[in-house]
Amino acid sequence: MKGTELKYEDLEGLFKGLLDKKAVDCLILPHKVGNNVAYMMATDKDRIEPPVPAIFAPSFSVNAANIVKGWTIPEKIGIVAKPCEIRAAVELIKLRQMDKESVLLISVDCSGTYKNQDYADHYGEIGDWVDSAKIEELKGKGIAIREACEICDNRFADVGDIGIARVDGEKVLVAGITDMGIEALSALELSLEDKEIERQEEKEKIAADAKKKEEELPKASSVEELEEFLRDCIVCKNCRDMCPVCYCKECFFDQPLGNPVGGDLLNLAELRGAIAVPANQLMYHLTRVYHVSTTCVGCGACEDACPKDIPLTRFYPVIAKKVQEIFEYVPGKDVEEPLPFVTYEEEELEDKLR
Amino acid sequence: MEKRERGILLEAEKFKENKGVKKEKMGEEAKGEFEPKIIGFTCNWCTYAGADLAGTSRKKYPPNVRLIRLMCSGRLDPMFVLKVLLNGADAVFIGGCHPGECHYIKGNFYARRRIAAIRTILKQFGLDNRVRAEWCSASEGDKFARIMKEMAEDIKKLGPNPMRGKIL
Ligand code: SF4
Ligand code: SF4
Ligand code: SF4
Ligand code: FES
Repeated sequence: MKGTELKYEDLEGLFKGLLDKKAVDCLILPHKVGNNVAYMMATDKDRIEPPVPAIFAPSFSVNAANIVKGWTIPEKIGIVAKPCEIRAAVELIKLRQMDKESVLLISVDCSGTYKNQDYADHYGEIGDWVDSAKIEELKGKGIAIREACEICDNRFADVGDIGIARVDGEKVLVAGITDMGIEALSALELSLEDKEIERQEEKEKIAADAKKKEEELPKASSVEELEEFLRDCIVCKNCRDMCPVCYCKECFFDQPLGNPVGGDLLNLAELRGAIAVPANQLMYHLTRVYHVSTTCVGCGACEDACPKDIPLTRFYPVIAKKVQEIFEYVPGKDVEEPLPFVTYEEEELEDKLR
Repeated sequence: MEKRERGILLEAEKFKENKGVKKEKMGEEAKGEFEPKIIGFTCNWCTYAGADLAGTSRKKYPPNVRLIRLMCSGRLDPMFVLKVLLNGADAVFIGGCHPGECHYIKGNFYARRRIAAIRTILKQFGLDNRVRAEWCSASEGDKFARIMKEMAEDIKKLGPNPMRGKIL
């Protein structure tokens, strides 16, 4: 990686510079709103606020990739976001929902995040950033990070085009990951050197912890348990709308077969004798989990969006990971790696068919 | 508005027709022993023809399977599998050309990935053993009959699809 060390306060200049030097035409980045943080989209460099305290704030509102889904114009947009959001954006590029050339993806180290409303409520205790010790301490007080973050093992800023990693002493390492990233940083006249941060050990520990927590999560393991798990679902489809990698322009479940009305609904009931209504609840979730099975980045935006507080992290990312394992695929890691469903090997998977 | 009402009327007509059909079907179901209902999605160029061969050469196999002909196993949308199971059938069979012999070159390679994925998902809820995919050519009437026999036996042992009686 080619990078440079900067002080926290230099980040403001970095983002302003990206706009100023036309490395991007606009920039999405978090900013402070009261006790919370929210995303803003800036085209005017003078409107960029000091990125710290917002940039490392452990607060999750929306997956930023969801905002740029369908960015098919040539103007270039930069996105400064957490690894799961950047990975979702990479998947969207592969799904041809965005053009690789018109996005500059900047990932930021993440230690885990709180639901944005929890963050605002407990801002005094949480502060502008957390590390694993702080997370544990807060957990003791009943303030917990989102389940999606507990089981996340991709928390480092090593995805996208540029990574912003936190190093000791209020410093960051800004590094170009792809050629496009290096080019953008070079345009800012930063002196780039070969830089590596040795984090392998930490990474393995996070992965091991995440795996353990994932195994401990309660999961539905039969049709009965799944029925119980989804009992409160009202099929509002918010989980779909907030999912960055659910991208169909015309969702099956907005069409007559998937969302039957009138005679269609009557026919469905007649076919089975009795159905649950709103119809297709189980079909919806099983279809959706298949549709996102290779691309789900485990961001937990679906769970956050659920008005009925269904712990969807125990369903979507957990099941998707099982599918990703059989294809040895990590969504969002590499923009050049083909999506599992558009490629194949001539000899494979025979033990998974029967 | 008017158009929509007409749509519903048409659907209601269909509904009445369906009602008769369903009664008939229910009558045909044998009382007593559980007879699994298997829905088979078979490729036109291989397994469907293989099934035909099994029939014309009078190979005996249990009558539990209802075949749906696809032009290629690659046409199988895993949603078909979900829909079949949700509607209460006891198992799904998928038959395609042997790897490397697909008439559309790689349809079955893609199908294999999709089937592996949907079975992995169903496995979480103990339903994967109700879905079986096999490669079976047009000349393998024997193989087709054997698979059908095996499947009928396996599913009989498993019992009815747990989704069957549920309000889902
Ligand atoms: S899912 Fe991972 S990357 Fe995303 S907010 Fe949580 S810990 Fe951070
Ligand atoms: S299914 Fe949920 S966890 Fe997975 S990418 Fe979509 S919103 Fe994120
Ligand atoms: S957001 Fe919640 S209630 Fe709405 S469809 Fe998804 S699971 Fe069901
Ligand atoms: S033509 Fe038979 S599987 Fe493709």
